[in-house]
Parts: sequence; C-alpha cells; structure tokens
Amino acid sequence: MAIATNFWIWIAALLTLAIYSFLYKDNPFYKFAEYLLVGISIGYGVSVYWHNTIITKVYNPLVYDKNFLVLIPLLLGLLMFSRFFKNVSYLSRIPIAFVVGAGTGLSVPSSFEFLFKQVYATMPLKLDFGSLIIVVGVISTLVYFFFSLEHKGFVGRVSRVGITFIMVAFGAAFGYTIMARVSLFIGRIQFLLSDWLGIIK
Amino acid sequence: MLKRTLLLIVFLILSISLFSENDGLIFLENQTPFEEFAITGKDIPNDGGGGIEIEWSFPDSLDNFFLTVLRKDEAGNNSIVATDLLVSSKQVRDVSSEEDPSRVKDGTKYYYTGILSKKMVDENFLNMLISKENGYSKNGIYIFNNDTFYVTAETDAIISKASWFNLSRIPVVISLILISFVFLYYLNLAKSGKELYIRKINGLDAVEEAVGRSTEMGKPIMYILGIGYVTDIPTIAGLTILSRVSKKVAEYETKILVPSYDPVVMTTAQEVVKEAFTEAGRPDLYNKNDIMYITQDQFGYAAGVDGMMMREKPGAVFLQGLFFAESLILAETGHSIGAIQISGTTETAQLPFFVAACDYTLIGEEMMAASVYLQKEPMMLGSIAAEDLLKVFIMVLIIVGFILSIFAYGFNIGIFKNLFDLLVRALQV
Amino acid sequence: MKFINFISNLDKRWIYLILALCIIIPFLFPVGFPMKTTPPVKSIYDFIEDSIPEGGVVLIGADYDPSTMAELHPMAKVIAAHALSNNLRVLFVTLYPQGAGMAQDAIDNVLKEWNKSNPENQKQLGKDITLLAYVPGVSAVVLKMGEDITQTFNEDGYGNKLSELEVMKGIKNYNDINLMVELAGSSVVLTWLIYANGRYGLKMGIGTTAVSAAEYYSYLQSKQAIGMLGGLKGAAEYEHLLDKKNVYGGRKDASIGMDAQSSAHIFFIILIILGNIAYFVKKRKEGK
Repeated sequence: MAIATNFWIWIAALLTLAIYSFLYKDNPFYKFAEYLLVGISIGYGVSVYWHNTIITKVYNPLVYDKNFLVLIPLLLGLLMFSRFFKNVSYLSRIPIAFVVGAGTGLSVPSSFEFLFKQVYATMPLKLDFGSLIIVVGVISTLVYFFFSLEHKGFVGRVSRVGITFIMVAFGAAFGYTIMARVSLFIGRIQFLLSDWLGIIK
Repeated sequence: MLKRTLLLIVFLILSISLFSENDGLIFLENQTPFEEFAITGKDIPNDGGGGIEIEWSFPDSLDNFFLTVLRKDEAGNNSIVATDLLVSSKQVRDVSSEEDPSRVKDGTKYYYTGILSKKMVDENFLNMLISKENGYSKNGIYIFNNDTFYVTAETDAIISKASWFNLSRIPVVISLILISFVFLYYLNLAKSGKELYIRKINGLDAVEEAVGRSTEMGKPIMYILGIGYVTDIPTIAGLTILSRVSKKVAEYETKILVPSYDPVVMTTAQEVVKEAFTEAGRPDLYNKNDIMYITQDQFGYAAGVDGMMMREKPGAVFLQGLFFAESLILAETGHSIGAIQISGTTETAQLPFFVAACDYTLIGEEMMAASVYLQKEPMMLGSIAAEDLLKVFIMVLIIVGFILSIFAYGFNIGIFKNLFDLLVRALQV
Repeated sequence: MKFINFISNLDKRWIYLILALCIIIPFLFPVGFPMKTTPPVKSIYDFIEDSIPEGGVVLIGADYDPSTMAELHPMAKVIAAHALSNNLRVLFVTLYPQGAGMAQDAIDNVLKEWNKSNPENQKQLGKDITLLAYVPGVSAVVLKMGEDITQTFNEDGYGNKLSELEVMKGIKNYNDINLMVELAGSSVVLTWLIYANGRYGLKMGIGTTAVSAAEYYSYLQSKQAIGMLGGLKGAAEYEHLLDKKNVYGGRKDASIGMDAQSSAHIFFIILIILGNIAYFVKKRKEGK
C-alpha cells in the first residue's frame, strides 16, 4: 500500500490533524476546522430535513398521491410558526398540546412496563451473593435519592451505603469510558496510518 | 422385533408405491415421527384482531428440522403460512396485513397443518399438498423424491378476534391510578399550606460562592445546558437553576454566557435570563447576544463551547442539563482554565466525569430536587413527596420479593413459591 | 518529593504524546494479545447464527455519526456481513440524519467485500440489503414502524420505493423482523428498548460505545436485550467469532486496534496509580 491519491482522504486527514493540533495549543488551523464542522453540520441537517420531511412527507403525498389528509399535520406544523408573531402566538399551543398529549399517552404505559421489567430484574430469582448485592445496592441507592427526609441517623447511614454503590458504579463507567476514548483515537490513527499514509494494511 | 418392524415398513412402502398414482410419492397414513406429533393454534390475545398464533413443542433432537405451516379456510382453500421455519423457533404468527389482506380474517374458522422435514420443503410437493383435489387432510408420512415429510393432523377450528383491552397491562392501570392518587393527595396537601420538607442539596450553596469569586476576578460566568431539548426533564431542571444563577449574576453585575445546542432551548434560556435580570432589578444589564446558538451537532457544539471557554476564560462554569459523550471534553476544558465548576445531569454514564472534574455535582434526581428546592412551588413539592412515597413502594416490593424468595427457594416452601411466582408475573407486563 | 512535584506539574502535552506513541507503535509492530469472547457478544452472534431461518430479517439501527464511528462502524459491518453469510436479509435504519451516511458506507463496504470473497453467492443492494430513508421524529418513527414499516419510510435511502424492493417482501412490521441490533452511543437505545421492545416485543441486541456499556448492562440482566457489543472490544470479539467461520474477507477494523487498546490501557493504569499517589502524598503533606 502507498500514500493515498484520493483527494478527499487528504482533506479528511488534514482536518483530523488540524483538530488534534488543539492538544498542543489553540491555533488558526483548529479554529478553521471547528468552524467548518459547525457550518457543515448545519447545512447537512437543513438539506436532509428538506428532502426527507418537506419533499417525501408533504410534497410527494400531496402532489403525486393526492393524499389531502397530509394537510392536517401540515397545518398543525405551520401553527408552530405563530410563535414569531406576538398577537397570534397562542395558536402554537394547539400543535404543542397535540404532541404533548399523544406523546404522554404513548409513553406512560411503555415507561411503566419498562420500570416493572427493571423491578422484576431486581427480584432474586435465585439465592446467591450476587442477588443480595443487587438488592442492597438498589435499596440503598433509592434511599440516597430520598428528598423528603433529612439524611441523619439510620437513613443517613443507608444513604452513605448508597452513595458508595453509586461511586463504585461511576468507577466502572469511568473505566469503560477511557476504553471508549482510546477507541475513538485508535479509529483516527488507523485512518491516518492505513487509508492516508498506507503504512499498515 | 426390529427386523420384523423394518420388514413391515418396507412391505408397506412397496405396496403403497405400487398403488400410488403419483410416481415419486409414497404415503404412510397415520404414521408419526413421535407420539403427540401435533401443532396447536390460538387467537393472539390482546391484539387488534386478524392474528393467530401457531405453536409447537417437538423433542429437542428435532431443533434443526424445518417446519412448514399451512392454513385451510372454511371454503377449503389452502394457503401457505410460512415455509421452512426452524423447529427451535417454537411458534409462528399468522397475521393479516394491508399488503396481504387475503390472510387471517376475524370471525372465520381456520385449520392449520404442519409439515416437518429434515430438508427444506420441496415446492412441487407443497403445491401438490395445497391443490384442492389432493388436499392434505390425511396426516402421516409422505416420501417424495426420496425426501421424507411428516404431516401433522389438522388443528381444531381457530377463530381470530380483536380485543377491546390489553388485559396484560392491568398492573399498569392500577399503578397509574395509584400514582395519580398519591400525587393529587400531596398536591392538595402542599396547596393547603402544609409545608412539605425537602432536604438541602449540596452544591446549591456553592452557586453564590462561584458567582462571587468569578466577579472578583472580573471574569464572566458560563452556563452550559448540554445537548438536550426543551422537552427533556434535565434541560428543564437546568433552566430553573439557570434562573437562580442569572439572578445572582445580575446582583453581582457580571456577565453570563449561555452557548446553546438547540434553538428552542436558546430562546427559552433568553427568556429565563431576561426575567431573572428584571427580577433582580437590573434589566439594563441583560444582553440577548450572550445567549447564543452554536450548532446542533454534538461534537461541533463541544468544539464550539471549548473554543469559547479558552477565549473567554470564565471564572465559573455551570454544566446543568443533558450531557453525553461531550461531557468530559467540556468539564476537562473548564477544569484546565481553572474555573469553579458546578455540574448536574441525569446521564449515569457521564456523571463519573463530572464527579472527577467538577467541584460540585448534582447526581441524577438531585438536579430535579434542586430546581424544586429553588422554586418551592406547591405542585413540584407535591410531586417530590409523591415520588419519594413511590420509591418506598418499590423498595417494599423488592424487599417482599426478597423475603418470599428466601422462603420459597432457601427453605423450599410451596406456598411461598406460588406467592413469588404471582408477584413476578404481575411485573411481567 | 521531587518526583511527586514533577508528576503534579507535568505538562499535559507530554501525556498526549506518550499516549499517541502507545497507540501508533502497536499498529506498526503488532503483538497479538489473545482474545476472549464474552457472553453478551456471543449471544447476539449465536442468535443470528442459529435462531433465524434463511431469508429472515435483521434490522440494524445506525444511530451514530463520525464522532463515534470508530467504535460502532466496525459493529455495523461485521453484523451485516454475518447476517449475509447466513442468507438473511439486512435492513439498516437510522433516526439521525448523519446515520444515513454511516449506514450507506457500511452497506457499500460489506457488499464489496462480500462479493469479492464469495463470487458464487453474490449479494445485491435492494435484494439482500438496504437502508431505510431517514425520517425525523425519533420515537414517533420507532412507534410507527411497529404498525407499518413501508408506510413509515416510503423510500429506501437511495430513493427507491420500498414497496417495489425485493428485500422488503413480506415485511410489514416488527413481527417480521427476527432481530434488531441498535448501534448508538446515546439514549436513543432506550427509545428502541421502551417502544420497539417494550411495546411491540421486538427482539433486540445493543451495540454501544464503551461509555454507555456499563449503563446498558442492566437491560441485559432484565432480558430486555439479548446481548450487547460494548465498544471496540465488543466489535473485535464479534469479528473474532465471524472469522472462525471463514466466509468473509473484509478488513477486521476492530481486531487490529486491540493491541493499541491494550497498550493504552496499561499506560492509563500507570497514570491513575501515579496520580493517586501524588494526590495522597500531597494531601498528607498539606495536612501536617
């Protein structure tokens, strides 16, 4: 393998290096790459929304399929813009009420089922040390998040056990995150060494 | 004995093949590969109709065999439900759809048959079975082109129907009613003027210290709401805390910067800050441009805020809201410029970084409680108290489950096993 | 004491440099640390390998962007390749605009590599694999898919009508999907678990960044997900499993990074130990 001849790989590699140059110190190359990323992501988002929402969800059904039911959600959506005009801004409450109502109706039962499943998973289906730890951990953590009682005496002691469990969990999460950050770096190095420089396969 | 059986089978095969009309087909009526070789079907419970569930339970040794399921309707028309399912999948659903409305209709009687085979089912054989004249009404063993197919007897008539209610969700309804009552009770209590206690949240007192020190150093304050939307609860809590912080900022006559990820959050933040400045009697200090939009790209946002921190060097950084992978990038940069940092989020995966890199951290629900603590609105105080009661309820549930399982499995007592099963089933919605 | 002071005042840029070396050197001189597969990875692999009949459907959620691509992209490629090797159909879906680009890249790559190493069993876009068009709405999209997938998206990611695609034959909603593997580093995993799994009973596996892996373990314990690929290590394990089958010749992106990962971890362990020693020694001195 040899050094890349593809123009876009060169662009990607140079931008990667420009961002990493921030580790040395803030500089114009970093700033250029930063602003470029911010600008491109906005532009990309707008174009995707335009095609996948306006065109495929509104224009195509209206013009080609003659599906006039689309007008109802379209009208509701347009009412959102009434926020920009002070005297009619109350109209935007209609679509918001619709979204909040439907969203709550859909999510309440599902959230309950989700909670039930987690409580069920805490039930000790077999008696061993592991399930004892889970039960103690869950209960003491719940006690830590008790707000209507002062953390003194027995409650205070249990909540201290709880915060210990929380910190142990944070430690595990921290370890995993180091792994993740290293992986992200590895991904870039791999790109630079193989796709760009062609040093490794 | 074995020899005799084998001879008998060979004789049978020979005799049948002699009389068989079809050259490649041999049929042994009523023969089954094992006892109770059958499939069962039932209406799918708690659905909107148009669906039948077919189940089978064959010996494990047949797990890698294939099963093809056929359906016959009242008029005697046969059709294929599914071909070559792995026996180990144990069930298949026959469901009607808009594209294929010819499938299961509510109120019609259907009869199902299964075909078990080692190899994938032969198409010609299948066509022969489903053609009306030959019908597959006879169960038994078919040998077609040297492949063996075991055909089950037809199931009893099965009718699909739509259900009005999803009965498996009764525990959800009960919990919902229970929670609503608890919530309303505490809400009334709070409204009636009874003072509901809420414990002090560590870290909130530090707000004043952070703003004060930042002012002394002549540096601005940065308030980062994370990458949540205005519909996310942590973002809303973050906005409440922002109100308190900006009030202090106005009192100290310093500057607050709020870089935003979402335009709606940005507009809301502008309103919140403006109101707080007005309340503090300094609307003249409010500058709309200090609460600005960055981008809706996660790392674009992180890079933008990072650069801003390096340039503006705020004396205090608040990270309150919904954070994901950018959390450490932001907190680390804030730490490196020596700012006092007060963070809070509900994202468990991000909390470790905040704990490590910030001076004070509001962990999960503490954030919500903090916003209630600051506002002391009866509605919110009531909900905190109700939530605490529900936590007790969950704890009791888990402890009861634990005790039951000790008696059920530790001491092997039958009645506790039943009780434990009952509890577990209620939770499996 | 001099050493402690040196540690606490060390310019961070030296650490960055050493870390970069820790990662670059193993790429140039690979060691080949042994690989052990963990049960959460194996259960997803086994499910695709044994429990889905030929022609079955695997749905892959590509809800990530270039920032977490290093961890999640190898997963997308290796799971898609595995599904193709069992003659399953693969559908990619994304709830984020940038996910579409990721999914298209994964599809292109897997198809190219697959057809190169299996000339007798060629796979085609639109027949064996495709990407459902991006539609905004996140949870609304997940819910609507439970009713009707074709109506939710109308088109695939390449502008073809879904109703005319061979890959969509017989697929109406989640009932026709054998397994969904959601690849994401954000809370969108929960959206899938709550709505698709909770409401419609869709069988799910999770592929996530290592950051979120610890959090999602509780959904394995509660059996809301059948398995999980956590970070680059999870992807490497999966590549290792598929490699044993010897059907796919694509580059093993995750596996070749594992040596670098291990050496960086060793470096971090040393840093944490040194940092803590320095912290406690300093604290004791200040206390005196």
